[in-house]
Amino acid sequence: MVPTDAYVMLSMVLFTLGAMGVLLRRNAILVFMSVELMLNAANLALVAFARRWGGLDGHLFVFFVITVAAAEVAVGLALIVAIFRNKRSINIDELSQMRG
Amino acid sequence: MTEVSLFILVGAISIVAAAMMLLSENAVHSALFLILTMGCIAFMFLLLDAAFLFLVQIVVYAGAIMVLFLFVIMLLGAERVGATPQTRFRWMTPAATGLSLAFLAVIALALAQGQIDRQPVPPSQPLLRAAHFAPDVGPVDVYANGELLAEGLSYGSATRFVTLPPGEYNVALFAAGTQDALLAGAVTLEAGQTGTIIAYPDGTGTALTIIPDDVSTVPERSARLLLFNAYPDAPAVDLVDLGSELAAAPPRVLEAGIPLGGLAPARILPENTDLSTWAFTEADRPAAVLFRLNTPIFDVKRDTTKLLVLARRSAEDAQAFTLPLVSAAQPAFGSPVAVGQLLFTDYMLPMQMVGVLLLVAMIGAIVLTHQPGERRLTRQERRRRVSRPLTSVIAAQTGRDVTKADSNGGSAVELPDTVEEPAGR
Repeated sequence: MVPTDAYVMLSMVLFTLGAMGVLLRRNAILVFMSVELMLNAANLALVAFARRWGGLDGHLFVFFVITVAAAEVAVGLALIVAIFRNKRSINIDELSQMRG
Repeated sequence: MTEVSLFILVGAISIVAAAMMLLSENAVHSALFLILTMGCIAFMFLLLDAAFLFLVQIVVYAGAIMVLFLFVIMLLGAERVGATPQTRFRWMTPAATGLSLAFLAVIALALAQGQIDRQPVPPSQPLLRAAHFAPDVGPVDVYANGELLAEGLSYGSATRFVTLPPGEYNVALFAAGTQDALLAGAVTLEAGQTGTIIAYPDGTGTALTIIPDDVSTVPERSARLLLFNAYPDAPAVDLVDLGSELAAAPPRVLEAGIPLGGLAPARILPENTDLSTWAFTEADRPAAVLFRLNTPIFDVKRDTTKLLVLARRSAEDAQAFTLPLVSAAQPAFGSPVAVGQLLFTDYMLPMQMVGVLLLVAMIGAIVLTHQPGERRLTRQERRRRVSRPLTSVIAAQTGRDVTKADSNGGSAVELPDTVEEPAGR
């Protein structure tokens, strides 16, 4: 049986890769995909802990995270499409008109 | 060992795919690598006994969400947008890399310190129910340590399972609605135990016993059968398969000599086993049939635990009678049934809220991407646009230009009056 530590470590590596994607990529769609990767990594940790403690609540949380991620993707991609229509670009460095 | 090697293989694939997602210049390639990573995570769910989440991950994430991503990338033609080397925030790359490595180091340290796999798992709370099979006593109230467990429990019925903290319990039966104690006894509940308190006649009076009931997970497509003897008018009973009369199969004793107040060991039956030839008989006398299990209530449904209690029909009627106490066996860990049960009981409100959230997101996506269309034309504008010179309409329909002089005498085409205007001009 694979120890829970291994699953958590794998999930943290994936989470870090996702965080680096959010910080380093300039394409808004790629930033979004990196956020999805971070959510997935967190899901993996939740399921690993659920098996460790023998409770199903972790599975339910993952289920809700997946649902919320679906809602978030729908709204986020709609935002990206709207921004692309206005500015002809989804480079997040160029979307700086909201700074104070 | 195969599990470990599979974990290493799939984990390595997922990390490589995630890194490739970050590094590829083309957004479509990134999306495809992300699908691979999500597939690997779905496989991990399977290794972690989360069959339901495996399906949801594949269908919702790798299917629906990533198709949406690919669709938007293709729609915007944004495959290469943002791939240009960045000019601002040059310090960001080393800073992010350093912070990420520091984060990983902290997590690794925490995991090494925490030793999750060495921590003891807290045992589950014991489950208890009470069943009333003492015909001489009327309806009873059941108390455990002075707390009401069941009210007005009538003969031949049982309560639902209740969760109690482990410990010593003083179980007392009172005649329903009164303070006359009929019977009392001490039971000890250990963590993780499931038990049924049964009041039954022991020949001279009424006795109270706790039997270890079993509602743990049964193998696939099977059910568990437990037998309890509460019938006082025979010394002991047998469970016999009488066999089919047509096939002339001899009776077969399945469980021999269950004493009064005794529990036969649990037997696992495949689902839809036919119990109609089974019967309770007096011990060692297959001809003295007490009760045949040939009514439809003795069916065998999958994932259930059925406790069959052989008892007297009533205080006056000494005929034997069997009552099934059916309870659902615990569904397998992480199975759709287990997740669904929790979803529709403890997590009903969050599920409703998530449903509302999805609805709001749907409306939000429509509102955000909705472009106000062109102004609707007024009736006059529409008419003006439609009206063309009638001559051109005729020319389009007949293929000849009626504005020219009618050269070949009488035309076969019936022309309207207005067409003659140009001829007379």
